[in-house]
Amino acid sequence: MGTYAFVRKIWRIAASIETGVVLLMLVVILAALGTIVLQRPATRPDEMQRSYSPFLLRILDATSLTDVYHSWWFLGLLLLVSLCIVAASLDRLPNRWRYFSLPCKFPEEGFRRTLQPQRTLDLDPEAGLNEAAAIAAAELALAARGYRSQRVVHGGQTGLFAERNRFSQLAVYVVHLSLLLIFLGAIVDGLLGWRARLTLHPGQIASAVQLGNGALRPLGFTLRFDGAGQEHYPDGTLKQVWTSVTIIEDGSPPRPTRILINAPLAYRQVRIYQSHTGGSGEELEVAHQPGSWIVWCGVVVMGIGLIFVFYLVHVRLWVVPVRSAKTGKLSVWLGGSVNRHRDGFEPRFNDLARSIEEELKRTVAAQGNGVSSPGIGQAE
Amino acid sequence: MAQQETAERQPQGGKTLIVLAGLLIALLLSTALLSGSRGADLLTETTLLYATLLFYVGAAALYLGFGLRATEAYLRWASIATWLGLAANTAALAHHWYQAGHPPLTNLYETLLSFVWALAVLTVVAQGRYGVRVIGMITMPLAIAGVVLVEQLRTAVHPLSPLLQSNWLQVHVTLAILAYAACAVSFALAVMFLIQDRVETRTFLAICSAASLAIYASVVAACVRIWGGLAGAGWAEIAIWHGLRLKAPLVLLSWAMLAALAVVATPVACCALDFRKPGKRLMQIAKRCLLASILLQGLSLAVLLRLKGPSAAAASGRLPTPLGSNPFVVTGLVSALLISMFFLVLAWRRADLERLLPPVELLDRITYRAICLAFPLLTLTIATGAYWANQAWGSYWNWDPKETWAAITWLVYALYLHMRITVGWRGRRAAYFAVAGFAVVIFTFFGVTYLLRGMHAFV
Repeated sequence: MGTYAFVRKIWRIAASIETGVVLLMLVVILAALGTIVLQRPATRPDEMQRSYSPFLLRILDATSLTDVYHSWWFLGLLLLVSLCIVAASLDRLPNRWRYFSLPCKFPEEGFRRTLQPQRTLDLDPEAGLNEAAAIAAAELALAARGYRSQRVVHGGQTGLFAERNRFSQLAVYVVHLSLLLIFLGAIVDGLLGWRARLTLHPGQIASAVQLGNGALRPLGFTLRFDGAGQEHYPDGTLKQVWTSVTIIEDGSPPRPTRILINAPLAYRQVRIYQSHTGGSGEELEVAHQPGSWIVWCGVVVMGIGLIFVFYLVHVRLWVVPVRSAKTGKLSVWLGGSVNRHRDGFEPRFNDLARSIEEELKRTVAAQGNGVSSPGIGQAE
Repeated sequence: MAQQETAERQPQGGKTLIVLAGLLIALLLSTALLSGSRGADLLTETTLLYATLLFYVGAAALYLGFGLRATEAYLRWASIATWLGLAANTAALAHHWYQAGHPPLTNLYETLLSFVWALAVLTVVAQGRYGVRVIGMITMPLAIAGVVLVEQLRTAVHPLSPLLQSNWLQVHVTLAILAYAACAVSFALAVMFLIQDRVETRTFLAICSAASLAIYASVVAACVRIWGGLAGAGWAEIAIWHGLRLKAPLVLLSWAMLAALAVVATPVACCALDFRKPGKRLMQIAKRCLLASILLQGLSLAVLLRLKGPSAAAASGRLPTPLGSNPFVVTGLVSALLISMFFLVLAWRRADLERLLPPVELLDRITYRAICLAFPLLTLTIATGAYWANQAWGSYWNWDPKETWAAITWLVYALYLHMRITVGWRGRRAAYFAVAGFAVVIFTFFGVTYLLRGMHAFV
């Protein structure tokens, strides 16, 4: 097997839906496992020893089952999932992109034969209805429904094309992209981010924090601890915990602020939180998450993408006057297509067909040539 | 449960069940109101919750009654009972909101009450807008299980802890409730689809009895453990009527529960045998055992409710409620009972159900529609939860069990959507998938709270 064939085979496997499903199921199973087996460091070592026998604990530790979400195999699996999302998206994108960038504006005969839903409205030449009148009537009916239609000339024939929400074709890729953005943000945070505890006494200052492994990280400014306190409800339960600090920086006046639970201080590259443990108010937590803005971008993009996926339907409508080769009879062919929720579209399509018929009747009436027949009938 | 028993005993008589159910609801409601009026307030939360439960039970009983009699009038009255239950539910929510001074979204009691409310609203919508008239047959039993759990989780109103004082809490929980309610409706629709798609009654028997067995087994395990195993010492008192009390050794109760478990397990065993070598007799036995197990399940529920003894954990801070014992245990027993009873309707009145249900294509599509509604809501629930966690804990993702299971639920529904859109799964496989998805939702909502621990301890 040549290299090209090999790469192609790998690509096919990576881009296949089966691989995606298997990988996602693996993620589900392993993530669930991590909620059943007690995890370090959330569980204290003595509790781990109480819960599992030494032998079992050794096995669990060796396989990283006691820290599933940071184990190499779980992270590797998430990476594989990301790669498969990329492969699957790239594999299907060209096709979708063609839909998006080169919309089929004029339906060829083969296309007209198979498209569903479709309708053919017969035109009565004696009523004075010709191609131009049919196109004009359809234009009016489409405009009444908020479609801006365009006239398309193809091989000497003139047709109408109207569409809505073309972007919906690409929405699913936006969702996939957003998932990758979220993963990327999490990876950036995992590699470059850090967390630390900061315990201070009144009047003390800090310009750096010490991580769990002993490394020092500069804050980029100086923090002075001014005081801490708690508020209670009349019945004695805790209402709020606060810490007063002052931000001191060269060249700017000192800035006093208050840190509360649910209201952290975000300054420069760090966010400083009121600690939940203890509740003494003296302990703060400092977090540096350089990737979090990527995560939030991903979340917003995903929200928008999902709205497009589920609630914006790409609707395409075509109107073509057709003259039968055998009988020479003129009729109007109307076809529609949606990329999802077809059941909801069909009644609207039928409505549109009806209003085109009505427009045609009105045209006949306006011409006022006294022909009693309504001028159109319905075929199909 | 009174109405349902009446429903079973009254196979004859046209309007009898409606009248009986109505009279019973009126009687029970007036007793509750009268006993409540000795205090100052007539419309207390307790009464409102009781009324909610009664109306939902009435609605479910009428749906089951329809299953027995195939009288369409029952459905109309069931729908009226649903509306009344919804009204009582709304009043209970409003009352609690007014009393607590914050939206009812901050603990399991409040969220569950809101969830039941959302479920009832979606039921009414599905009935009115999509014409799925018997959807209440699934959603009303779910609502009953919810209210039963609500009744027991009720605590005195506490002011909000600092962690919960965030606007994100309200957004996050509201989205979660709506998402879970949409998942519940998709589940109900998927079951309706399976009925209409002529899935064999035998398959339903296998699924229903397996689900009951799973619930019952875990409940029995919990009871036996609480009562000191199969050789535990001690006596329990069962309050039968006002002064009348029955004394029973705990060992006996443990063994009785095990015996009941064996009966509940028989239909599953019969189904398993039948799948290997089909035969009519096995199914007959399975059905009989299911009937027997319904009676036994009802009995053990009654015993558990009236039990005064070491198991009646008078948990501190909990208001005295008519239903004692562990809230999840009682709810589990009620759910198992309702699942078994649902099968009865199916076994006896399948043809009438099929006549009333919309065509399979429509059911298939609206199941998908419900999931199309649930999935963005699930996404937003996780996103707002992550944002709030980042504000409160300083990290947007902590791999807390609740978070992890929310992500798992999201992945399961993402798989559903991919199977449907990309692979083209329709019909039966998609419906089974929707049913499984809701099982995951239930685990995320209650299982994580009950079985796994984490930072998300308030709900």
